[in-house]
Amino acid sequence: MTELSNPIQHPRLRNRFLSQPIARRAYRVIQILAVIALLSDFLANDKPLYCKIDGTSYFPVFKQYAVQLGLSTWDAQFVTKRWSEQSFEVAIWPPIPYAAHTIDLKNGRFTSPLAPQRVEKLSRRHWLGTDQLGRDLAAGLIAGTRTALLVGLVAMAIAGSIGILLGTAAGYFGNNNLRTHPFIAFVGLVGLGWIWYYWMVSRSYGLLEGRWLQQVLTALLYSMLFALALARLNRLLQRNGTLRTTIRIPLDDIILRIIEIVSALPGLMLILAITALIKNPGIYDIMLIIGLISWTGIARFARAEMIRIRSLEYLQAARVLGYGHWRIIRRHALPNILTPLLISLAFGMSGAVLLEAFLSFLGLGLDAEATSWGSLLNMAKSNISAWWMAVFPGLAIFALVLSFNLVGEGLSNAIERTTP
Amino acid sequence: MITYFLRRTLLAVPTLLVVSFLVFMLSRQTPGDPVLALQQGSGTATTDYASIELQDQAYRKTATFLGLDKPQFYFSLLPTAYPDSLYRFLYPDKKRALKGLIAQFGNWPRIEAYHQTLVHTERVTYQLPDTLAPDVLKSVRTALRLLHNHYQPERIEASLQDIHDQIAGVPQLSEPLQVLRAAWDAVVADQKVYRNWIPAFRWYGADNQYHHWISGVLQGDWGKSYLDGSNVSTKIAGALRWTLTLNGAAILIAYLLAVPLGVYMAVHAGKKRDQALNVLLFMLYSLPGFWIATLLIVFLTHPEYGMDWFPALGYPPYDPGRSKWEAFWLSSYHLILPVFCLTYGSLAYIARQMRGSMVKVLRQPYIQTAYAKGLPKSAVIWKHAFKNALFPIITLFAGVFPAAISGSFVVEYIFSIPGMGKLTVDAIMAKDWPLVYGILMLGALLTIAGILMADILYTLADPRVGFAKKQKT
Repeated sequence: MTELSNPIQHPRLRNRFLSQPIARRAYRVIQILAVIALLSDFLANDKPLYCKIDGTSYFPVFKQYAVQLGLSTWDAQFVTKRWSEQSFEVAIWPPIPYAAHTIDLKNGRFTSPLAPQRVEKLSRRHWLGTDQLGRDLAAGLIAGTRTALLVGLVAMAIAGSIGILLGTAAGYFGNNNLRTHPFIAFVGLVGLGWIWYYWMVSRSYGLLEGRWLQQVLTALLYSMLFALALARLNRLLQRNGTLRTTIRIPLDDIILRIIEIVSALPGLMLILAITALIKNPGIYDIMLIIGLISWTGIARFARAEMIRIRSLEYLQAARVLGYGHWRIIRRHALPNILTPLLISLAFGMSGAVLLEAFLSFLGLGLDAEATSWGSLLNMAKSNISAWWMAVFPGLAIFALVLSFNLVGEGLSNAIERTTP
Repeated sequence: MITYFLRRTLLAVPTLLVVSFLVFMLSRQTPGDPVLALQQGSGTATTDYASIELQDQAYRKTATFLGLDKPQFYFSLLPTAYPDSLYRFLYPDKKRALKGLIAQFGNWPRIEAYHQTLVHTERVTYQLPDTLAPDVLKSVRTALRLLHNHYQPERIEASLQDIHDQIAGVPQLSEPLQVLRAAWDAVVADQKVYRNWIPAFRWYGADNQYHHWISGVLQGDWGKSYLDGSNVSTKIAGALRWTLTLNGAAILIAYLLAVPLGVYMAVHAGKKRDQALNVLLFMLYSLPGFWIATLLIVFLTHPEYGMDWFPALGYPPYDPGRSKWEAFWLSSYHLILPVFCLTYGSLAYIARQMRGSMVKVLRQPYIQTAYAKGLPKSAVIWKHAFKNALFPIITLFAGVFPAAISGSFVVEYIFSIPGMGKLTVDAIMAKDWPLVYGILMLGALLTIAGILMADILYTLADPRVGFAKKQKT
């Protein structure tokens, strides 16, 4: 049924998008930053990429991954002696021969990128300067790229899935189209309620132990399975005519009310309060909180798109052909909603990146282990004369946020021009 | 239309109640003991039973004063395994341990018996003379006190075994300990876990913590700060004055600059200068406020780079000798940088919206008609187009305001202005929870008011909105 599916043609949209010079450049910036994030260990590392000691060849950066995965261990000579002090026969170093956490004692106390530095070779120079402890700023920025993109991606994945699920459901079914037998509705309400009761109240023992994330996800999984099974049962019983009388479920009103409540909570204050509640908030907690709070905009957008699409002819045709709701949503509606939704995902990414940077800037977000642009920028406050700590991390945040905003803008221009 | 406004306002009430309930529940999940926070850790380690009793009495008094001896909500839906009155156990650690035991074993009578035996055994150890076996008694007392906080079976077993090994030389204790052991074994042997799976409805009535909290909030009593015992509402009111001044100035300037700029861009839409301005505004919009604030502080407030033009603090030191006029100028001088940081973001946003709205209006046929009548360009733009394009911009205010307040968080924090932002961050860092939840509640109130105002302004600007909604429902 391909002729039913796509009024917006994707290749055309792509061309429209890339034909805008500014949006194209912004998109390239994001691509480059994504590559930097992926290859960050190969770009800035205190270990050489390849080295030869006493006739034996090593690939320390690759080995680092194996060690992190628990597949291998370091040889004794590498544990006792710093990498920079080893005597190599041959060594190929990454472009920046420092990791984000490497402390260079000789160039501590905020060494300026312009000042003379105590380094043996030009390649070991700190091109963007160092912080109080002598950590290389360029290496920190590269590690921060990974943090920023990871937080943005995961947070948007969470916000996107919740927002799209609720938004499309509200838009597609509206207040009148989800009909079911009172019995099924009753079983559904009681069943879902009980699943959450079991995992949140009966198993509160697990919550005490700090397993709340696992339990929430398990409950989510079970309630989805239960809802699917119930929908199957509902169709079966309606087909063979056991359940004739139906009541309507005002899904749109229910979901709108949830959206209203979540958006009434002041986001920034709530995030600050929650990060203070969790004992040692790690990067995954931050992602989860940002994701759980920022889905409302996406849901609103998905709902509006769905309402627009619902009245289009091709969707009505699909309904006339007698396809099930699930099939219509998945095969015919969702592909067309996803393209415009990219706009709000792009703006959402920029918001999430900004929020993470701000939280680390306040020192409330990530643990000390993770390097973030925000925490690097924060160090500028403690030493006014270290201008490089103020300029470069901020520039990185600005570049990424601006690029995502420009991509969002470019997408919305492209879609505006593609759809009549 | 009035009925629509009334209905819209009434609809906000349930939202507000749910939000208040969420904030309240969040406040009860806070780690730490509010009673100890209020007593400021006055409790010292004591050894004799009398002073422990005294301490316990003081604790109970404070807890009662805070209303913590009441049920949390009008009703509860806890499992049938729970007793009616778990809320009467005041110590959070103890309550937590009991909850853990209930969740694992589900048999409250047995658990209660174990708990009472534990209290009794503890009392027995204090009734014995210290001279009997000082070291053993001391360590057994500590072990028993810690046992109150344990809920993992293996840790309780280990602890009981440990005490059993210690009291070999004190025959007076062996019998109470055997009773305790038996009580614990009964808990383990007689499990009724399934009682955790069935919810039970229990009604507590209006004398509950939430009721007292929300009626306090409604009457302006927002609780007391842990730090200095002053009223949360006074603290917030003081901070709110600064935030409102700051944001009022910033939004006013933003509107004054953005509206003509947007009109200018719309009139020249599509030309080079419009495109250039558009990109510039977009960049301004994406500039992180905390970065710009940091840059300004670094470069413009210190002699380090030769540009010591502004004070780093966002407010002047207090001096009663100054005249009002002087004080005003001095405050303005101090507020230039913070207000700038707050302005440029809203400015870019409003100008872009103004441009969009104006471009739309300029495309309308009636503008063509006006030109065709031979009216001068300025008259068409300002009299015919501008008035109609302005409406949606006014409604933006409701959205700009909450955004500006959360933006001023950053700026206030960096420039040390004693407004809401600094108050919040400081309260969170100092774990001053009553203040944190007060601010959270106020933030929710303001956001709901903002949404409500946006809806009402929208309807005023375009009456079709309200009626359309009416028809749908």
